Amino acid sequence: MSIPLPLFIALPLASAFLLPLCGKKFKGFASLAATVVIAVLLVMSILSFGRFDVYIVGRWTIPLGINLVLDGLSALMLATISTVSFTAMLFSNRYMEQYTSKNKYLSLFLLMVTGMNGVVLSGDIFNLFVFLEIASIASYALVGFGCEHEELEAAFKYMTLGTVASMFVLFGVGVVYGNTGSLNMAVISRYVAENGINTGLAFALALFTTGFGLKAALVPFHAWLPDAHPSAPAPISAMLSGVLIKALGIYSLSRVIFNVLGISVQISWVLIALGVLSMVIGVFLAVGQWDFKRLLAYHSISQMGYVILGIGMAALILSNGGNPAWASLALLGGLFHLMNHAVFKSLLFLTSGSVEMSTGTRQLKELGGLAERLPVTRSTCTIASAAIAGVPPFNGFWSKLILVIAAVQAGLYGLAAVTVLVSIVTLISFLKVQRYVFLGELPENLKSTAEHRGLMACAMILLAILCVFMGALVIYEPFRVVVLDNAVNALSDGFAYAGKVLSAQILTGQ
Amino acid sequence: MSNELLPIIVFAPIVLGFITLFLPRALRYFTAPLTLLVTALVFLGAVGIFQDKTLSYSVPIFNIQEISFDLLLRNTSLSSFMILFAAGFTSLIAIYSVKSSMDNKAANIFYGAIMLTAGGSIGVLLADHLLVLLFFWEIVTVALYLMITTGQEKSNFAATKTFAMLGASDGALLLGILFTYKICGTFQMSHIAITENEPLAIAAFLLMAVAALTKAGAFPLHTWLPTSGQYSNAAVMAILPASIDKLLGIYLLVVLVLPQKGLFAMVAWDLRLVLAIIGAATVLIAVMIAMVQHNIKKLFAYHAISQVGYMVLGIATMNPIGLAGGLFHMLNHSIYKSCLFLCGGAVEESTGTAELEQLGGLGKKMPLTFMACFIAAMSISGVLPFNGFASKWLVYQGIIQMGKDTTTTAAILWPLWLVTAMFASALTLASFVKILHSVFLSRMPDALRETKEVSAFKFVPMMILAALCVIFGILYTLPLKIFIYPALGFKGDLQVLGFWDSSFATLMLMIGLCVGAVIIAAVSIGKKARKVPTWTCGEIQPNDSMIIPGTAFYKTVSSLEGLKQLYSWQEKEVFDPYTQAGKSGSGLTNMLKWLHNGILPIYMNWVTIGLLVLLFILCEIW
Repeated sequence: MSIPLPLFIALPLASAFLLPLCGKKFKGFASLAATVVIAVLLVMSILSFGRFDVYIVGRWTIPLGINLVLDGLSALMLATISTVSFTAMLFSNRYMEQYTSKNKYLSLFLLMVTGMNGVVLSGDIFNLFVFLEIASIASYALVGFGCEHEELEAAFKYMTLGTVASMFVLFGVGVVYGNTGSLNMAVISRYVAENGINTGLAFALALFTTGFGLKAALVPFHAWLPDAHPSAPAPISAMLSGVLIKALGIYSLSRVIFNVLGISVQISWVLIALGVLSMVIGVFLAVGQWDFKRLLAYHSISQMGYVILGIGMAALILSNGGNPAWASLALLGGLFHLMNHAVFKSLLFLTSGSVEMSTGTRQLKELGGLAERLPVTRSTCTIASAAIAGVPPFNGFWSKLILVIAAVQAGLYGLAAVTVLVSIVTLISFLKVQRYVFLGELPENLKSTAEHRGLMACAMILLAILCVFMGALVIYEPFRVVVLDNAVNALSDGFAYAGKVLSAQILTGQ
Repeated sequence: MSNELLPIIVFAPIVLGFITLFLPRALRYFTAPLTLLVTALVFLGAVGIFQDKTLSYSVPIFNIQEISFDLLLRNTSLSSFMILFAAGFTSLIAIYSVKSSMDNKAANIFYGAIMLTAGGSIGVLLADHLLVLLFFWEIVTVALYLMITTGQEKSNFAATKTFAMLGASDGALLLGILFTYKICGTFQMSHIAITENEPLAIAAFLLMAVAALTKAGAFPLHTWLPTSGQYSNAAVMAILPASIDKLLGIYLLVVLVLPQKGLFAMVAWDLRLVLAIIGAATVLIAVMIAMVQHNIKKLFAYHAISQVGYMVLGIATMNPIGLAGGLFHMLNHSIYKSCLFLCGGAVEESTGTAELEQLGGLGKKMPLTFMACFIAAMSISGVLPFNGFASKWLVYQGIIQMGKDTTTTAAILWPLWLVTAMFASALTLASFVKILHSVFLSRMPDALRETKEVSAFKFVPMMILAALCVIFGILYTLPLKIFIYPALGFKGDLQVLGFWDSSFATLMLMIGLCVGAVIIAAVSIGKKARKVPTWTCGEIQPNDSMIIPGTAFYKTVSSLEGLKQLYSWQEKEVFDPYTQAGKSGSGLTNMLKWLHNGILPIYMNWVTIGLLVLLFILCEIW
């Protein structure tokens, strides 16, 4: 069954504009409709695995028109986005009752999904920018959704730095257009493959790296994240840390570097440096935090470092002419870690939301002994902590293992050691979370705390089950080929992307 | 026996244990008997495994880029006897703790963790694939963490420290394993034999040895052990740190260094000096600290560290006698140390405290516990004819042998190792005299008048372990021939100078004891002892003021010039890698926090600087 690609964008976009019409009376209906839309997107994205599809908008062929491209990497991203947004939506149904104007929330949520789906499907670089802005602006509003002063401050900071990032990207798009005469990624890719990269394009590459690096919150472009992610409502924190930084940042960055402008030794080392800096600085900042969500936010920086490190190592191996097997292993590890991080980090944010909703605080020092009061939250949070710390058999173990194997095999022993070290510090900081939130003495004022069950618990259990069984994506070969290997090949093929997209256009006969 | 037994005995308890972790508390009446049943069945399976040493099981799981992840399990004579004892300890502890854990708030986590331990430890011992070994190794770590969290107040701190240190060593193990793979291109342990003494091989060996030594609790990575000893339940200490963690740590070390067969036999041969230093330092330092402890469980925990030193020393000799001694000592230690912890737990349960100052005179109230504790204490101190003596004797023989056979630095220094080991053994005895005195013998405080002996669930496991101490001591050739020699691949008997005749010595001891008993009886029969309250200058002294606590026994040692400073540093955790790493880590964190001051223009500056650097690199304008 072939699903028309524009549906991924049109469906959430249309519902985002229709839902506010429901008004206060039909609030329940609006939530239900939004959940159904996201569920449909989830099913569609799972069905799109293993497909390669180019959609020509309005029959204007490349290079004249706009195209949407679905390849292995886009499919992986789509599935990640839909999974996290589905569980976040389930969680929101009860959680967002604490706030007013839920319809606006739903509408912004769907807009953000629209933007992310658009980014990962877009086949031309200007539309990528447009969708990136849609998702970003929706997320600025969502960060400030509570309208408390710290939330507004965080949203303002986020918006300022986010706008700077968008401007860099737009500037880069302009420079690329001036140098190659096209905005279509396949055409640019073909141009670079034939003519090599010139100083103008290198300038654009630096701009893209900064812009997308800001969106991905890589050190030193990360400063907005620790304010923005904790300030948002918990399901939105889950969305931001879980998928937004990946779709807007990591995906765009790796797509542009691998498939459009091409890899070089310099950019590989830049990626590795960004990765290592993010991993180390992020994790050491995280371990010192006493605010539950802020701690999680710093871990997002650190974990994004893993992903970028994997991608950077692959780029280095490929551009040095090393063994491509280790390059694809590094990519596999990086991309798998991206999926895993989406799952366990959104789960962690949801559990933090559950704790905050039940106790009214997220300061670790004011909590304690909640294991008996919040059993579901405790179990799921423990599973997610084990997953992010890389305890077998949870999903994080497999991706980190693969990353370290790739680093050792490629002879990058120092990077392997850093990866393991950061993993140990991660473990320590989640032991801290367990110790202060769920173990120890229950404070007097929390004796009557009760857990919110229902859909919130469902969302958390769903993600916890994924944490336990997602290792199957690596272990079970057919899954790996369809989900991960396709995505890895999409990146490691490099400029072959152009040929594939352009020939697919001819095949569709348009 | 069919080969399918291997995966079943490993995975069935793990899966059941994992599910049990998440069950609601109300189901504990179901999970408690389930735990007993599972551990008993695992023990039966372990007996089966012990009888058939040819079992092996392999199934390919997946393959990425020529790297194969296969589930390879194989039984060897080294693993089979360790499996037998690991399963045995698990079921004994399950019996010991199953009833008292019912009242625990997190009962199901405790039961689940026991099952995880059963499966995980056997998995480590059976694994023939390094990553499979790592997998189970980590499961055992997690099980220990979960068990400690079920303890009382402050156990959360102990659990955190334990998992942090063991987790860090697991990270070292992972790196070591991958370096090994890089060198020889296979994960299959039976195919790995590294002969080149290159830097990568040395790094790999050291990393893996760190993991083994941390698990076993050797100096200087031992500090998780006393902390968890102080705050967690005695049963937890008895099952993992005292016995199974020792089995696993020493197993890995032997697998690495065993001459001719070990993964790193050649590399390790050159690093014997390092191992010997670690061994000797562990023996001496830990026992010195143990002497001045006031908490039974913490004191036992320091002895659990000190005894590791003997095992490491025995292995460091790398000659047959020393290796046999090291392994035998590991076995004996697991037996008497879990017995000791169980006794400590029994005392704590009956009296409500584990602090030596508040205990005393319990020998009459808890005779069975006293007997078990006495036998185990004599064993650990290396007193004839108990098992600890037999294995320490072998270790000493091994050290002397090492001095004869080779001329490397490690061998030339053999008198040093020998003297340290023997001196530490004397200190161990001293420290247990203190324990026996303060808990069981000295005057009983008034608060403990109502103390009762523990239930059969508790004393039966203690008695079994104490009986093993006696049997393995008197008939010490039996365990050597059945378990140790086959495990190391020796045929027949070892020719050792000064193998002692245990039956004669035991006979003499028994005669001596009988004569003593007769004398006591002869003197006391027919004479009535008169009991009067103590009084000084006309004042009757209250009972509690007349207690001579054992805690004062070795104060002179800790106030010796030179040692005094070291003891006070030790108290302040100056030598604790966990505390020190934590301090430097938080220094780094604070510096980074200071940089993140929340001022937007500064953040903008970072972005600008970042962009400039990128432009310099990418546009090649330098």
